[in-house]
Parts: sequence; C-alpha cells; structure tokens
Amino acid sequence: MSTAARQTDPWYPVWAERPSFDLASGKYLKIWQGPQHPGVSGNMALELTVEGDIVRDCRAHVGYLHRGFEKLMERRKYMNCFPIVCRICVPEPDFNEHLFASAVEELAGIEIPERAKWIRTLTLELARIAFLTMGLGGQAGSFGLGTVGQWCIVHRDYVLDLFEELTGHRIYHMYIIPGGLRHDLTPGFAERTEAVLRKIEKLMDEVQKVLFDNAVIMSRTDGLGVIPRPWVDPYGIAGTNARAAGSSRDVRSDSPYLVYDDLDFAPIVGERSDAYGRSLLRKREILMSAGLIRRILSRIPDGPVRVKLPNPLHWKVPAGETFVRAESGRGEMGYFMVSDGTGFPRRVHVRGPSYTHAMALFEELVRGVSIADVAGLMASLQICPPEIER
Amino acid sequence: MNETILTLEQRFGARLEAHRRDSLVFVSVPADRAAQAVAWLRDRGGFTHLVMISCVDWIERGTFRLLYLLSSPQERRDIGVYVDIPRDAPSMESIHHLWAGAKVYQRELREMFGIDFPGSPGVNDPMILEGWHDIPPMRRDFDTLAYAERTYYPREGRSTRDPAADTAERVYPTDEELRRGIADLARRTYPGGSKDGES
Amino acid sequence: MNLRNLISPFYAWKRALEKPFTIRKPLVEREGPPLYRGFHTNDIELCIGCGSCEEICQNAAIDLRRVDGIEPKQGDSGLRPSIDYGRCCWCALCVDICPTASLGMSNRYNWISDDGEDWVFTPGVDDGGWNGDELGYRRAEGSWLLDPEAREMPVTGPDERRRTFDEYAGGYGPADAAAEATRCLECGLCVEACPTHMDVPGYIGAIREGDLDEGLRILYETNPFSESCGRVCTARCQDACALSQLGRPIMIRWLKRYITDSTLERRAAVIGDGSAVRPTGRSVAVVGAGPSGLTAAFYLSRFGHRVTVFERAEKAGGMLRAGIPDYRLPAGVLEREIAAIAGPLVELRCGVDVGRDVTVKALREEYDAVYLSVGAQEGSSMPIPGMDTPGVHIGVDLLARLALGERPDLGGEVAVIGGGNTAMDVCRSAVRLGSKRVRVLYRRTEAEMPAAVEEIEEAREEGVEFEFLTSPVGIAASRGRLVVTCQRMELGEPDASGRRRPVPVEGSEYDVSVDSCVMAVGQQVEGGFATAAGVKVTRWNTFEVDGDTLATDERGIWAGGDCQTGPDDAIKAVAAGKKAAWYINDYLGGRS
Repeated sequence: MSTAARQTDPWYPVWAERPSFDLASGKYLKIWQGPQHPGVSGNMALELTVEGDIVRDCRAHVGYLHRGFEKLMERRKYMNCFPIVCRICVPEPDFNEHLFASAVEELAGIEIPERAKWIRTLTLELARIAFLTMGLGGQAGSFGLGTVGQWCIVHRDYVLDLFEELTGHRIYHMYIIPGGLRHDLTPGFAERTEAVLRKIEKLMDEVQKVLFDNAVIMSRTDGLGVIPRPWVDPYGIAGTNARAAGSSRDVRSDSPYLVYDDLDFAPIVGERSDAYGRSLLRKREILMSAGLIRRILSRIPDGPVRVKLPNPLHWKVPAGETFVRAESGRGEMGYFMVSDGTGFPRRVHVRGPSYTHAMALFEELVRGVSIADVAGLMASLQICPPEIER
Repeated sequence: MNETILTLEQRFGARLEAHRRDSLVFVSVPADRAAQAVAWLRDRGGFTHLVMISCVDWIERGTFRLLYLLSSPQERRDIGVYVDIPRDAPSMESIHHLWAGAKVYQRELREMFGIDFPGSPGVNDPMILEGWHDIPPMRRDFDTLAYAERTYYPREGRSTRDPAADTAERVYPTDEELRRGIADLARRTYPGGSKDGES
Repeated sequence: MNLRNLISPFYAWKRALEKPFTIRKPLVEREGPPLYRGFHTNDIELCIGCGSCEEICQNAAIDLRRVDGIEPKQGDSGLRPSIDYGRCCWCALCVDICPTASLGMSNRYNWISDDGEDWVFTPGVDDGGWNGDELGYRRAEGSWLLDPEAREMPVTGPDERRRTFDEYAGGYGPADAAAEATRCLECGLCVEACPTHMDVPGYIGAIREGDLDEGLRILYETNPFSESCGRVCTARCQDACALSQLGRPIMIRWLKRYITDSTLERRAAVIGDGSAVRPTGRSVAVVGAGPSGLTAAFYLSRFGHRVTVFERAEKAGGMLRAGIPDYRLPAGVLEREIAAIAGPLVELRCGVDVGRDVTVKALREEYDAVYLSVGAQEGSSMPIPGMDTPGVHIGVDLLARLALGERPDLGGEVAVIGGGNTAMDVCRSAVRLGSKRVRVLYRRTEAEMPAAVEEIEEAREEGVEFEFLTSPVGIAASRGRLVVTCQRMELGEPDASGRRRPVPVEGSEYDVSVDSCVMAVGQQVEGGFATAAGVKVTRWNTFEVDGDTLATDERGIWAGGDCQTGPDDAIKAVAAGKKAAWYINDYLGGRS
C-alpha cells in the first residue's frame, strides 16, 4: 500500500517522526535480516518490526564495512590514495578511481590526454554493465529465481575477464590514476569486448523471457516499493531509482564529464516506478551502455594515456576544494576533496548514492511490505553498503 | 548564480569563499543564520537537492567547518555553504526537517566528529562504529597509527633498515662516527647553538 | 498477465541443449593474463636496495633486509626488499617507482602454504618458482613515476665563452632548483659515495622546503668548501645516484651550488665564526692552506683549538686556486670560503715556506700538533730530450701563473700533452689566452682519457683539437718555434691501472710544429719535504700514515690530502682534513 497517500506535500517531514510499537503487546515481533543474509545486498542489517507477515518499521544498521578510508587518506600522499579508493565500492570500483583522480586533477590543474578520457569512459561503462548485470541477477535471486541469478553472475564474470586483461586485476582495478591511466588498451581488446557485449545482449533477450515475462516475478514486483516522482528531491533519490519514477536526472547529461557530451548522451526515463519498472529500466540501461561502448571503441583517438606528474613522494597539490560527481550504476556519486597545500589530502568525503537510498528511503518504503518481499525491495533499490560507511 | 550569492550576502551575511567553476561556488555563512540560509536556498533558490553534509576539521584554527552542499537540478549548479563552528563546543542547528537524508548525515557527523544537532532524530544512535570508547575518530587529533599500535598486535619478525645508515654501519663505521661527531660539533658552534659551543 | 507469462520462464530449458557456462576445473591453473598483478619478482642483481619501493608502499608492507651474500658497494646498499603479503594490496606502485625496473610482478596468483610466515618473503631470494616469469605486470613505457630528465645548467655558448676567463656556467634559478630537488628519492645511496659523506638527501630536502639557511648549515657540517665543490666536484654522488640507472642522476652538484649561491650574504650570519667557542688552550699548526689544511683548520677551531695555517704561496687555496682556472672556479668563491673559515682562533700566514723559513720540527715544538697538507703540486715532466727548451711549460705551473692573474702569450699554436683534467684546464685556458690552434696529444684513445666527459666535450666545442695514440719523444727549438717529435702508439696489454698500455709503433715518428708545448702528464709530491720533516714516505713519495687516523709515525704529526694519497680531487682532501681534525682533537684530549 503506497505511503504517498499519507500526505499531499512531498516535503512534509514525515521522516522526522518514527511511530512507536509496543513490543510487549505480543502483536509485534522484531526480527533481524542481516548482516549476513542472502536477501541483503552486501553487509547491512535490517532490524524489522513485523506485525504478522507485514513489516511495520525498519531500522537500517550499517557500519559492518567501515574501513575508515577517509581518515586513512589523510595520512597518505595523493598518489598513495588511489589503491584505497577503489575499495569504497566493491562492485563498481572504477567510479571511485575516476572521481578521486579527477578531483585531484582539478585541484592541481592537470589536463589529461584525450585518449585517456575516452578509455576512462569506456572503463566506466564496462563497470556499469558489470554492476547492473549483477544487480539484475540479485533482483532475480531475491525472489528465488536462482537461474537468472547464475546467468547474470557468469556474464559479469566475462566482463571481469576483460578487466583482468586490461587492468591487471578483476575487482580492484587500480587503473585510473591522477594524470590519466596506467597503461594503454591491450591488443585485441576491442574484439574481445565486442564478443562479451554480444553475449550480454543475448543474455538480455533470455532475461526478458525468463525474468520480465515471468508471471511470478510480475506479480511479486508489481507495486513493490513504488517511489512517487515528487519524492526524488526530498529523499535525495538518484540514478535508476529516480529515472524509473519519471525524473530525467542523470549526471551524464546534466553535468557531462569525460566525453559524454561528445557521445550525444540522453538518459532513459522509465514508466513504472515499482521494483519491476526499476529492473526493466536497468535492463534497458545495460543495452544502452553496450551501445555507448561500441561507439566509444570506434572513436577513441590516438595519443598518450598519461601525463607526467612530479615525484609522488614530494608532490604537493595547491590548496583548495572541489566537488566532482559521476553517474554510477546506482546514481549520483560524488567526491568532495579539500587540499591544504601539503602532500596529503586534507579531507576526502565520498558521497555514495546508497547513503540516502538505504537509510532514509528504504525505511520509508519498507513499511507495509511483507517479509518475503523485503529482499526484493532492497535489491530493487540497488543498495551497496560499502559506500555508505566507507 | 550571482543573484543567489548577492541575496545570501545581503540577507544571511554570507561571504564568497571560492569560485571553483561557473557551476560550483563555495560561500560561508555565520552559524546562527546558516540553517535559514539553507532553507532559503531550498525553497527560493531552486537548490532542491541535498548532495551531502560534510565537515572539515581545521584544528589549527580551532573550528569545524561544516559544508552543506546543495544542487539545483534545474540550473545544474552546485553551491557549498560553509559554516564554521567552534571545536570545543561543536553544535549546529538541525535541518532534518528539510530533507529526509539530512538526519543520516547529521547522525554520522555526531558520531565521527562529535558535532551535536539537537533534535535530529536518532542523532545519538551509533551508526558506523560499534562499542567505540575513544574520541570521535574523524577529528584531526585522533591518531589512527597510535590507535592501531595500541589496539592490535603487529606481525612479528618484521624489521627494516635504512639504506644510508645500514651502509655506513657495514662499510665505514669509524668514519660514520667521526662524521656524526663533526656534524654535531658544527651544529653546536653555529650562532644559536649551545652557549659556549663546548663539546 | 496471461498464459504467455506462465509459460515464458520455461524458455530457460533451452539451456539444456547448449554448452554450459561452467568449465571443467582445468588440470593446470588458469593462467593470469600478461598484465596481471600477481606475486612479486625481483632481479636482485639489478636491484640497488634504494628503498623507494618501501617509501611508496601505501600500506607499509615492504621492509629492506640484509641478504646473505650481497654486500654493499657504490650505488647499491646491499639490502633487498621483503614484502608482507598480509598488508600488500597489489597496487604495483612499487613496480612503477623502481629506479632500476628490477621489481616486477608475475601473473601467478596461487600460493598455498601451511606456514603463514612464508608470506613475508623477499622476492628474488625466496623464490616460489615465479621469479623468472616473463609474463606479469611490468610498468608501461612512460609510466615511471620518477623523472629521468634533469634540469640542465644554463651555460654560455662556446663562441662567447672561449674569449674570456669569466665563469660560463650560470647556476640554477629557484624554479629549476625546486624541480630538480623534487626528483630526489632520498634513498641516501649518494652518502656512501661521497668521500666526506655529506648529508645529500638532507640538503636537497632543505631546498624543497625552501629553507636554504638550513641547507647551508647541513653543508658546513661536512664540507666548508661547498661553494667550490658545487662547481668543480667530481660528484661521485651523482655516479651512485639511484636515478642514474635509467635516467640522468640528480644534479647534486648544481643543487649544492644553488644553496651556496643563494645564501652568500647570509653565510656569516648562519655559520658564524665560532667566536662563542671556548678556547681549549691547545694549538695546532697546519702546513698548506689548500682544501685539506683549511678544512682541518675550520673544524679544529670549532673544537676550540688555536690554529695557525702556513702557506708558501701569496694566496691561500692550494690546488683549488692554482690548479683550476677562473672560468670553472672564479677566485671570488675561494675568497668567500677562506673568509668563512677565518675566525678568532684561526690565523693564516701566507708567504711562509715551511721547510725553508721554518722547519717542521720547530713547528712540532712550538705547537701541540701539526697537520701536513702540502699537496702534490709538482708537475711531472717527461723523460725526453728538450724539456728545458724555452716554450716548454709544465701544466700546473702554467695554471698557477694564470691564477695569479698573469696572461702569458703562448703563441699561435699550442700542443698540450696529457689526457686528464689538468690537460683540459690547460688547453681551454690556452684557447682563452688567444692561441688560434690548440691541440691535445694523448697517448691512448678518448675512451681511456681520465678527464671528465663534460670537460672533453666543452673543450671540443671551444675548438680544441684532439690527437690520440701519440706521444712526444723529443722537443727542439727551430726558428723561434718548437718542433715536437711525436711517435704513434697502439694499444697493447692492460697495465696496472687496467687500461691498455700504449705501445710505440716503430718508425712512426713525425714532427709537430708549435709555438708552445705544455706538459700535463701528472703531479707528484715534492721530494725532500717529508725527509726534512722526518716523516716516512711510500715508494710513490707520498706520506705514509695510519689509514684510519691519518697519523704519521712521528708522534703529534698527521698528514692528509694529495700529499698522502697522491693527486686526487678536492673532496677527498676535504674528507682528509675533517678526519685529521677529529683525531687531532682526540689526541689533544678534546673528547673524554
């Protein structure tokens, strides 16, 4: 049942009050979903207060993946920070690498070569495909459709093979660094990428039939977690969650970075704002990313991929502050960086899209959802806990 | 953007701190008017999207510098509102009623920096840390290295050598002794060294 | 929702007819791709133990360890990196920074062991079988984190500089100095190579910090002739520099010059004159006001001893003044350095010939200790007929006259015999004196010339000609000019120095007609001084001393510098003077 009926003004701070439940009455039960639970994406705990089968309240507990990276970066020189930032979001590390590098480049006044920009865009789109594919699999798996889950993980593995060949590692690529990229594309990379893209497109046809045209999935996701369009700003919703609700917000078109303004990028706006609509939108975005990758591969200019920077042991970045953002698979991701003129960053604050999705939005949407569907709701919001507590 | 900054200056005593790009400026606002400035920016300025609430610990100046980073989806612009609050009594008016996510940021700042936002729902609930008994860890005076050495035990059997010192010890130990002795002597006899330069 | 939606999922069954995604577990490990960042490899022959990998590691995973069988030598600390795989994040920054490119990574990623200590290992020494792997991460072209290029020193062009004895090297400005100082790794390999072990990383760091006064203080801790050395030192530190392996070394000599040049007016205020030092009441006589003697005087006076320096020439400076022309080392530099050494406890007496005007024995009685640093200033001549023909000069004598301001006319054509730095100084001075044709005759080939490469190059640019594999066998006067009869040489077997010895080619004599001929074939300690002083000499006529303390067998007498080692460079003389000061102070009861 949609909670939008509770008030007409989306800005009314309904989130400021929390209803209380008398646990001693026997009507309610508190159960924990997580932190280790196949129905939770990542490590996060949901403290659910349920009445029978229906969730009445939820407190989201984060912190299981806190590694203190922002504090650690204050003790490390700028070039020493890039091995850390990729670990802030496990499924899509490249966005962190790119945002850190571009924040440093902006503060230091460095312009990276054209070829580096194109290949960075390629890397980001590949990371997006890897993440969204896994996300579709997670969505399927949360309803028990393990088959699609396995298919998607396998195809993500094909993309990880591409990354392994290009960057030297499967998950933590450490490939995008301040100044450009660590090395150029490997020979034959374009052909192998094309082969993987074809596999993924074929997969999407199968996923359409097995997942989206599936009666069980259709009934379970129908009306699950509806996000009304007016909620986008009050709840800070971004990414596919917002676009499925009807907003056209996408950093790639709103504040183009790298080469997106060269690619004539236009965001896809969805029609349905429930779990089904969000997943369908993600499937369409996977196909759009595949098209973008093909266009990028055909247009990459020649040239160097890196500019020479001063000795990293003594490199000092001029004092200043900046905020850079990118569109990750989950939405607007941003880095706020402050430098004080020394060789160490003063403050790096990572703003992950899941920060608002998992805490404020999720706690609101999960009211009235049955226990069985909590996992499905969480998967449909594409919550990635590492970027919440960093 | 210029009209926005002008209004902020006139109505809320703001000051332009940095112009990073045409689409990104940073202003600072006095703490007693900051919450109203942020509300004005949301309601009248078109900055309806709260990007983040962050904080930089300027320990050498004795302040926490809060940052309210707002974004205008229509104009595709960002504005960062700095608010300086004293480090020894850090407290700031809560804006949890303006955005749903604000209470989460404020809860994290309370835990990580020790900044109080009176009235913010759940602001004192631990969010990221569990069973933490030390000072708020994002403060500059919290030394992570010292904490790690106190709390965890190091891997045994690790030791390192400095190339210059090790070579001196192995190749020219007596010359190294005299080099150090003469260097100390020179230092003592420079103006500003010890009183009578005696060895 | 309709019937189609109930049937549609069964489309998945078509997979039963297709090849499965999964692969059979391969009997061999799935190989990592060529650029995979796997376990570390290290070529320990190439590795120089500089520790830059340890510096750059973001998680303190690397230690430098001693390794059995690897000893330190110039440019190699003998230490090798050991990596703790409990902390390593496989970012390969260590590989990207390595100055020798010895550190790499293989594409192996599987390591099973039941002893956790195995995973703190020294690549190249503890080999799990992958050390020789070709595949694996190696840094790409252009990815080296360090800069192989050095900031070049601005120099006057050859056409302009060959007309004047003015200094031709310009000195770094602040931007170049800062950029060059930023290249430094602070590994410290240069410290061992320097004869007086200057704290090179320390003063380069002072340039980076912008604290040049501190840089000056660091210089004077080990070398009061830093302004001179900043121009003419042989810079063994640069030969040992880690960056010289794959690029140009840090231009340490020019950075040293930058510090002294930028602090000229402040030198007295920063270094002081030691006037606050309490005198010990002891006295030392130093014979020879060259770099060795004056360095000893500087440090002895700072210990509080009263020092009197005796110098035969009219002006102090030794071979720095008499042996190096103004265009390389302007006289003003020496004046400033000697002024900085002077203080209330230092007296300089020029024009006093010890051995003739006063004996060493007399000095030994009057003073509590004596330091002999008379150098090796006698220029060698060749045992050929005609050495005393007018127009034949000895190189070091000619340079000494130039240092006094004389500008003798060597005539239109000059032949310079020799291949060391003195020969280069002489031939380039001859150009500046106006001779139209200056030829250097050397008995071996260019590859064997002991002179510095830059000297040879710059001499060529200034128009000096070189003739190799030739040596004079006789000189005669002829119609107001000289006829130098030379004989061609060829290279035979190596001699004691390791260089192939020149062997005369029978019947290959030919004549060279010149106005002057200058011999720059070596220097030696003047005979007779040591015997008169009562000090033992070696068979090369150098003073014999205890290698550790520079003490001669005469109690209370030390000897150091060229007179002890034979002709060598200034920095070794400085090191000897510093060492002598230490042990003389010890002898005088300075340290309890």
